[in-house]
Amino acid sequence: MSEYDNISNEIRELAAKLLARGEVDVVIGYKPTALPGRTQPAFAYKPEDAREFVFNPLCVSGLPLYLTKAKPEISAKDRIAIVAKGCDVKNIVALQRENQIRREKIKVIGVVCKGVVGKYGRCDGKTEPKPEDLDEKCRYCDVNTPRDYDYLIGEKIESSPQSKEKEFEEINRIEKLSPRERWKFWEEHFKRCIKCYACSKVCPLCYCNRCIVDKTMPRWIDPSSHARGNLAWNIIRAQHLAGRCTGCGECERSCPMDIPLMLLNKKLERESEELFGYRSGYNPHDPIPLAVFREEDDDEFVR
Amino acid sequence: METKIINKQDLAKLIDGLISAGARTVAPVKVGQMHLFQEVRSPAEAVFDYFLARRSPKEFLFPQTEPIFSYTRQKDSVKIHPVDMAFPRTVVFGLRPCDAAGPGILDALFAWDYEDKFWFNRREQTAFVSMTCAQADHACFCSSVGLSPDAADTGADLHLTLLDDGQRYFVEAPTGKGKKLVSEFPSLFKPATDSDAAARGSAGEKAKGLITRKLDLSNVKQWLGSHFTDELWERLSAKCIGCGACAFECPTCHCFDFQDEATPEGGVRCKNWDSCCIDNFTLHASGHNPRNIQHKRYRQRIMHKFKYYIDKFGKTLCTGCGRCSRQCPVTLDIAEVLENIAAKAASGS
Ligand code: SF4
Ligand code: SF4
Ligand code: SF4
Ligand code: SF4
Ligand code: SF4
Repeated sequence: MSEYDNISNEIRELAAKLLARGEVDVVIGYKPTALPGRTQPAFAYKPEDAREFVFNPLCVSGLPLYLTKAKPEISAKDRIAIVAKGCDVKNIVALQRENQIRREKIKVIGVVCKGVVGKYGRCDGKTEPKPEDLDEKCRYCDVNTPRDYDYLIGEKIESSPQSKEKEFEEINRIEKLSPRERWKFWEEHFKRCIKCYACSKVCPLCYCNRCIVDKTMPRWIDPSSHARGNLAWNIIRAQHLAGRCTGCGECERSCPMDIPLMLLNKKLERESEELFGYRSGYNPHDPIPLAVFREEDDDEFVR
Repeated sequence: METKIINKQDLAKLIDGLISAGARTVAPVKVGQMHLFQEVRSPAEAVFDYFLARRSPKEFLFPQTEPIFSYTRQKDSVKIHPVDMAFPRTVVFGLRPCDAAGPGILDALFAWDYEDKFWFNRREQTAFVSMTCAQADHACFCSSVGLSPDAADTGADLHLTLLDDGQRYFVEAPTGKGKKLVSEFPSLFKPATDSDAAARGSAGEKAKGLITRKLDLSNVKQWLGSHFTDELWERLSAKCIGCGACAFECPTCHCFDFQDEATPEGGVRCKNWDSCCIDNFTLHASGHNPRNIQHKRYRQRIMHKFKYYIDKFGKTLCTGCGRCSRQCPVTLDIAEVLENIAAKAASGS
């Protein structure tokens, strides 16, 4: 039996037990699909539903989005257990930090993860992906063993993320371009945007009841998918996640137009760390940079 | 049906000829890791050895955003400015049969209670050149909705099938527009022999063999008619995140919304793509939303495609291209939903 079969079995057993004992109302996990190279989110309400659960490197979807008020079918349940990789746990921590969940009502089934398959990577789901097939975020992952959990499945491992230099290589390259070249770079990408909003709907931290794009009095953002509307949307999306985004990569993975959204997210992540020493998703008690005032904050930009 | 042969070089000349003649010439183009239908400035940009474009080519008849008029505010009146309804001649190359079938399915909708001039004026100006598929995956299910990966009768004006010499395409011209295109460039099209026709037949069979997903949809419509409420909806689609990824790539989804983009001086009224899966699609001004939870929105997607549209227009609103399953961020595989419905229908539950 492979490592992933063992992990899958442990998840099934634990989920069935939690449901049978009435400790939770639903368990959120993954199950197979007929489409090769994929898995899908799954919800178990009865112990026998848990038989379908699997865990393997095809389990890319970030499940914490189902804990938010955007998904009332599931999140309104009183007690929830959720299967979570290290990066998913970061999103749970971020949701906890923003008072979107009551952590004590949630049982986190943390899974030790050696990486998932990238959007264009290949993986049979039985063994871990080859380095070139890994998702980008997994190359820099420092949470292979989740930082917070109620149950841990799998043998703890130490993370060995690639260097920051490598992680920010492309961002550093773009920063060095002239404003005109940078503009052209983003223009080329944003012009493909079809305003499907998959990037926002899939993001666990995009949980607003009413997104700014839907507000009409006044209308802040042109709803049409033309150059102006696309630019406004993409700037707003990135800005609203500034200092909050945990880098889970779900938005970029979900974007059907392959817009490199992570370049924006990671640039803002670096700003947040450099300016405020804040990394989202690591500590549920750290002050949120955009929600606190400190006298020593940089105010050079206020004139 | 008129049949011809065109070789690869002459296909390039055809594209060149159309560009020189001033036609907007569209073909699959490689963009990063995907292919997109885009206007080409030279035949070298077109890629025909490809699977399927990320987005269907419906945007050439029904753009994702389209100004329908603009207006300026005067002292105590508003002046309306119509938009230009003359559209350029357009030829779209390289569609797969599941893409080519889209416009023919949608004509009835756009002619329903009001003839949509934006659609029909463009339609008039546009010719489609489809091609037999060279690849398929397990999300494809065209043959379950009455199509096939080598279908020439989808409504495309020309259909090309690459013969096994890898150099020559067998050309079928099912429509008047297609025949006209052939007669406009007579030197590029050579006569087809009986053995070419036989080779086209076997290439078609080979393409048909690529399809691994076979669905039995015979009882689906009937089941839908009596199961507006059923446990299946929440079970299969609670995971849907309510984005527009499926509808916006689909060759047959056609819902749109009117939006004004205005300044105090005036504005533009636009017709923009919309999707029934998005939460505010049915949101009333009062704040009430009859589809108040995601599985009711996803149910509309299935009902519309496999029941209402058939009731109203006699056609299934799906060509089995599989885009919605492939691109869904949470792998909500439409074929899996249909399989579940078919199983329920068969078991009488
Ligand atoms: S980022 Fe880390 S925890 Fe998340 S999928 Fe990659 S390796 Fe696993
Ligand atoms: S997912 Fe991509 S295409 Fe869709 S709205 Fe976001 S950036 Fe645009
Ligand atoms: S913005 Fe993207 S990367 Fe950041 S938390 Fe949201 S989905 Fe994840
Ligand atoms: S519903 Fe899905 S499979 Fe059917 S035509 Fe649309 S995108 Fe293709
Ligand atoms: S089915 Fe998938 S692509 Fe369609 S709205 Fe739901 S989550 Fe988005």
